[in-house]
Amino acid sequence: KKWASSLPRVPSTQLALKSMDMNYSLQFGDLWPSIRLALLCEQKYAALLNGFGDMEKVIQEFEERAQARDFVYEARSQWPEWTPHTDSQPRADQDSPAPGPSDPEPSEFSDDCTAEQSPSTPDMKQPIPISPNLKCFTFPRGDTTRFKPARPDGLRLLEYYLMDAASLLPVLTLDVRPGHTVLDLCAAPGGKSLALLQTECCRHLAINDISISRLNRLRKILHSYIPKNLRTEDRLRITSFDGRHWREIERNTFDRVLVDVPCTTDRHSVLEEDNNIFSRLRLKERQKLPLLQTQLLLSGILATKPGGSIVYSTCSLSQLQNEYVVERAVEVAETEHNVELHLVDLSAVRTLYRNTFHFYRHCRVGELVLPHLTANYGPMYFCKLERIH
Amino acid sequence: TLRQTAAKHFGKSAMDASGLESVIESILKLGLNQAQLKQLLTLNPKIAVQPPQRSLAALNALNLLGLNPSNIIKILEKCPDLLGAKAHQLQPLIENLQKYGLGEGSLQRVLVHSPQILNLSAKQVNNTVRFFKDKCVFTAAQITEILRTSPNVLFEKFEELEYKFQYAYFRMGIKQSEIAKSALFRVSLEELKQRHIFLERLGLYQTPDKKGQTQIVNPKLKDVISTSEDHFLAKVARSTHEEFDIFKKLLSCEEIEKEELESSEWGD
Ligand SMILES: C[S@@+](CC[C@H](N)C(=O)[O-])C[C@H]1O[C@@H](n2cnc3c(N)ncnc32)[C@H](O)[C@@H]1O
Repeated sequence: KKWASSLPRVPSTQLALKSMDMNYSLQFGDLWPSIRLALLCEQKYAALLNGFGDMEKVIQEFEERAQARDFVYEARSQWPEWTPHTDSQPRADQDSPAPGPSDPEPSEFSDDCTAEQSPSTPDMKQPIPISPNLKCFTFPRGDTTRFKPARPDGLRLLEYYLMDAASLLPVLTLDVRPGHTVLDLCAAPGGKSLALLQTECCRHLAINDISISRLNRLRKILHSYIPKNLRTEDRLRITSFDGRHWREIERNTFDRVLVDVPCTTDRHSVLEEDNNIFSRLRLKERQKLPLLQTQLLLSGILATKPGGSIVYSTCSLSQLQNEYVVERAVEVAETEHNVELHLVDLSAVRTLYRNTFHFYRHCRVGELVLPHLTANYGPMYFCKLERIH
Repeated sequence: TLRQTAAKHFGKSAMDASGLESVIESILKLGLNQAQLKQLLTLNPKIAVQPPQRSLAALNALNLLGLNPSNIIKILEKCPDLLGAKAHQLQPLIENLQKYGLGEGSLQRVLVHSPQILNLSAKQVNNTVRFFKDKCVFTAAQITEILRTSPNVLFEKFEELEYKFQYAYFRMGIKQSEIAKSALFRVSLEELKQRHIFLERLGLYQTPDKKGQTQIVNPKLKDVISTSEDHFLAKVARSTHEEFDIFKKLLSCEEIEKEELESSEWGD
């Protein structure tokens, strides 16, 4: 103990920054300073509406008093051919002329890579498959207004959940359809589980996390947002297993699996001393993250039904925890488990939400939201796999 | 006609005709023309009624410093009361400024830029100089440099000067010699913080460690604060106005929240 306290105490946040300066200036080159600046400034929040509460009132308030807009709906309404699966919403293009596919791309959100040809406008006949029923309000680009904390409504449910808007992208990308059975393998504290329930498509949602204390936070959140009759055992199961061993419980079971793994949580790590993964005492744990992530993703892949799909996500910028993990897991799944996977091209998702997020354009697989002061969300990496057989 | 202008202001009886005559003559001798003379009278009509030596003290002193008529007018436009100052107030002050190293050229520049200095007392100047020497440990030459480039320091509260100095010295790790060269005291603390913290978060500025070392080469303080925003963003920060504007908004919220937190902690 003595020798430890005599070491100069460098804050973990400093260690985190130092390590990121080293790795990310190589990975992102000239983009890094601007990402770094955004990581160290106040993050932007979005309000995920609670579809089980009194939404009309909240929507009206947002639209009248604040300049906030539902970015999910707005993006979607730009695609005139979009046919909602279960959405009862009136189509936006009926009264307002939405920008058509031939409109020039708004280039405002492009970074240094404007010159590169932008992702082609998605095929109109094949609408981008995203999970329905999600409504999430954000303030426009550059607007630094904050949302007020949510209040309970008449039904005693909270009106909205404040979250990083980019955290919704993995859930939107998962494309949950009515009747699906869904697994959220690393679910606590529960922001994405809540969003999954908000799609109102899960016939059954299996929520798992290794940490009991974090699961308790998740339970509280579900209590505050989801009516009791929808939290019954046949619809919702909460477990606390080591996700790496899921195959010992269930294989080939779920239509959709979300694998939102533990990672270096870059934004948290440069700002908060508490529970910081860059602390010297956690070096080993940090070095083992890519391995743990690969094992968890593999486990998620094996839990998926043939024909089902998986979304892998992290809130780290690190290629080692993102693309490399996906590539490695796909390889192991094929060679060791004879599972064939298809990597889904998500450039359409990037195009769809380009007005809300600052996307990185050079991921080998998957998509990455870069923090940027004009839209200070993320980092959020997400990648989608389809299981062929 | 000049006499008529003056008479309009004070009435014939109050005027000392022969006195005014001699003032006018002296003013013209200093090289001012009729129009400039008239300007002086409108700037401070008391010229017509007060004893000639009072009207002439400042003019003579400025003339002796080698200022040309148009600069003299510029100075008096900003400080018309100088036309009533007494010679024994001005002379020691000017000598004092000269003593601190403001020679011919630089004293002229400083006066044209901030003539209000002539309203100060010699003691006020001494106090400022002593403050820089004792509280910030600047050398005499550095203090001269500061007075020359940032004469506004003579009017500012020591508290604020000290805070600005400490920010640059401790928070940014800059030595006195560089501070003196950079016109630090001409920018507001807010502006200084905005540019410094912006660079710091971009990863382009690092406070030196105890040995004075950094992992990156910091930009010169001069280039950080004494440049236009365009130049600062394009050449030093390599960023955009959009980002800097949002950053300034966020930083001011952060500062307010920090203050609130601190005051609530002291409160109980
Ligand atoms: C990034 S967080 C998940 C955040 C969550 N999906 C949300 O949106 O609120 C990662 C989670 O993985 C959990 N975890 C870590 N190792 C695990 C393992 N071996 N099996 C299952 N969960 C694990 C951690 O307890 C942590 O709650």
